[in-house]
Amino acid sequence: MKETLRFGFILGIICIVAAGLLAGVDILTKPKIIAQEKLEEGISLKAIFPSAHHFDEVRDGREVIYYKALDNDGKFIGVAFKASGKGYAGEIKTLVGMLSEGRITAIKIMSQNETPGLGSRIADTNFTARFKEKSDLSGVEAITGATISSRAVIDSVKKKAEEIRLRVKNER
Amino acid sequence: MKSLIKEFSKGITVLNPTFGLILGLCPTLAVSTSLFNAVGMGVAATFVLVFSNLIISALRNFIPARIRLPSYIVIIATFVTVCELGIKAYLPGLSKSLGIFIPLIVVNCIIMARAEAFASRNRILPSIFDGLGMGVGFTLGIAIIAFIRELLGSGSIAGIGLLKSNEFILVMILAPGALLTMGLLIALSRLMGLTKR
Repeated sequence: MKETLRFGFILGIICIVAAGLLAGVDILTKPKIIAQEKLEEGISLKAIFPSAHHFDEVRDGREVIYYKALDNDGKFIGVAFKASGKGYAGEIKTLVGMLSEGRITAIKIMSQNETPGLGSRIADTNFTARFKEKSDLSGVEAITGATISSRAVIDSVKKKAEEIRLRVKNER
Repeated sequence: MKSLIKEFSKGITVLNPTFGLILGLCPTLAVSTSLFNAVGMGVAATFVLVFSNLIISALRNFIPARIRLPSYIVIIATFVTVCELGIKAYLPGLSKSLGIFIPLIVVNCIIMARAEAFASRNRILPSIFDGLGMGVGFTLGIAIIAFIRELLGSGSIAGIGLLKSNEFILVMILAPGALLTMGLLIALSRLMGLTKR
């Protein structure tokens, strides 16, 4: 009994010191990490929607549902949103830009774990360029040898685009 | 001083984690698809190895034998998290390409093995050198594998494309390529007597 207490005490001390150290590092790095994420988000949004001047977040609770793309005069010209679908090896997240009339401006794969050299080619511009200027995505061709990964992107973007279209229509 | 150099160099040659001890293979196989990832992984693991060896050696008379494993895990996990936050804040590109493998350094068995087999029985200075040597040996091992796999599998070195073609030996950047490369390199290093049989 006495020994158990002693062991618990020693382990407790180690944990408290470790927690203190981690809290310190967290305080130091947190602003930097958040700034990095914001920066990256900004660059990605700009890349898929070059004609937009700035973006407004549309939130539902704490979650960002989509971004409104506004031009120089603050006029609404389209939306940007994230779509995610199950690929061959885990989730594929895609950032999509869409004009108000429903045409896709561009897409960008944000994260994927597909097979390197096969499924991972969905992130290449060769594939993502196939979405440009399309409003009906059934015409987008899959990559040979990476059908599951390609379909996951196409279907998830298609589904989410319809959802966002409805949502935007109802809000206006 | 001489013994310190010996502690350092054994991790690179005779007890090399990748080719000698054959420990920590999960990151070795998974991250060696490109030289950039491999070196990033190696440096991160070296950082954790040096600091966990340092702390575990310093606390070797304070931690009772029966609770040494949970204590080591807490210490190692702490440094891994420090490392992860640091990489996220200052090297976001590396953090993105290594993904889950940075937090998984916690369960890299080289670190646990050095804590148990060396740091918990030796003084602080030799432990630091042991950690450093093991880290450098691990980095070298994973970098050599990555160099071969990246060159044959995607025709580039550290992301710089050398050959313009889409027809590379695809299997080299998939899992079988990792096992083949590593197996052949282990055989070669034993044949040359660099690592122990």
